[in-house]
Amino acid sequence: MVSVWVAWAAPMVLAADVGFEKPLRLMAAGKPIGVESPGYACPAWHDLDGDGKKDLIVGQFAGGKMATYKNLGGLKFSERQWLMAGGTVAEVPGVW
Amino acid sequence: MDVNGDDLIDIVSGSYSHSEPSVDMAGYFQVLLGEKGGKWKAAQVLRGNDEKPLLLSSGSKEQADVAKICTRAFVADLDDDGNLDLVSGNFGGTFGWFRGEDSGGFAPESTWLQAAGAQMQVQLHSDPFLVDWDGDGDLDLLSGSATGGAFLFTNIGSKAEPKFAAMQTLVEPVAGHQGVIIEGETDATETPVTFGDAHLVGPNSSTRVWADDVDGDGTLDLLVGDSITVQHVLEGKSEAETRVALLAWEKKFQELMERMQSNAGGAPDAALNDEWQKHYQSKKELVREEMTGFVWFYKGKAKGDGAKRTASN
Repeated sequence: MVSVWVAWAAPMVLAADVGFEKPLRLMAAGKPIGVESPGYACPAWHDLDGDGKKDLIVGQFAGGKMATYKNLGGLKFSERQWLMAGGTVAEVPGVW
Repeated sequence: MDVNGDDLIDIVSGSYSHSEPSVDMAGYFQVLLGEKGGKWKAAQVLRGNDEKPLLLSSGSKEQADVAKICTRAFVADLDDDGNLDLVSGNFGGTFGWFRGEDSGGFAPESTWLQAAGAQMQVQLHSDPFLVDWDGDGDLDLLSGSATGGAFLFTNIGSKAEPKFAAMQTLVEPVAGHQGVIIEGETDATETPVTFGDAHLVGPNSSTRVWADDVDGDGTLDLLVGDSITVQHVLEGKSEAETRVALLAWEKKFQELMERMQSNAGGAPDAALNDEWQKHYQSKKELVREEMTGFVWFYKGKAKGDGAKRTASN
């Protein structure tokens, strides 16, 4: 009746020496870390505040903005803060 | 990544489109240069050594547009010559390489990365991330894709002369998408239509990957961002009745699609187009759709001979 949206043309070869535990959705302040509509979360991992722990940065489509989440340790993160540049919320032009 | 060598973190991004009117849809690379005190300058266009904005070189005529719409950019010294290179994904799923030059900065023209004798490619929206995944000292390439999943192109060349093997799958792409009715499942109670996001167990489509030792156990983990449309039941409606309504909506949607496809190449059918548009818009009367994306953590674990892949970036 209805075909599935995904059409994968290339044969998939699973990497033999790779293993992961089941994925865990990251949370911040008790809520899933999510991005604004229309979605497209792009994570990065860097020590932004120089405290020796890398923090989470999440780029998004809307406005070309980037959210930062301070690493509190143990996969716990503080509430979202928008990355700032030049005194205002940073935006990457032309993302959409 | 530190693009200008001042030991401060810079942020590099691709973009879909010029800010100014343009014949071609082609994205500039933007860089937010780091400043002391954990601050950044406003985004500025990244330029090649000819002082012109860097743009991905068009591929064949068939893929000229999608090849120039850049997605993620990643800066690393891919060929170990002491100069940072820029590798970019694009809408079409290939990978452009701007070589770093001795004078600093990037070559104006890109070339396309190859894998197993053909152009390196994922299923649209390539997403390069360079890391020594297998611990042999050279840089391997990871990528997400429009259809989800995470993929590995192992560098089987050397640090100075990278050569990539065929694509391997690290995380399989999604088998279906939330709210899509699988063939053969005609009973509304058996469809995979779900509501809210509490049931989600892994990434959906349009994945973006990052590898690092996130949990500090000495093994590389994956962070995977995605994109998903979460459906919410309207106030006053039950999940059961919404599922039935969505099934009926989907059936009609498919019927209309089949009619439109059978009419392809013929004279435009305004009435059919109008019916399709009205039906498409009517979905919002059945369910509230929220377009969003989440970040997933894949804890790495060693397999096989027990050798650990060690974080080094």
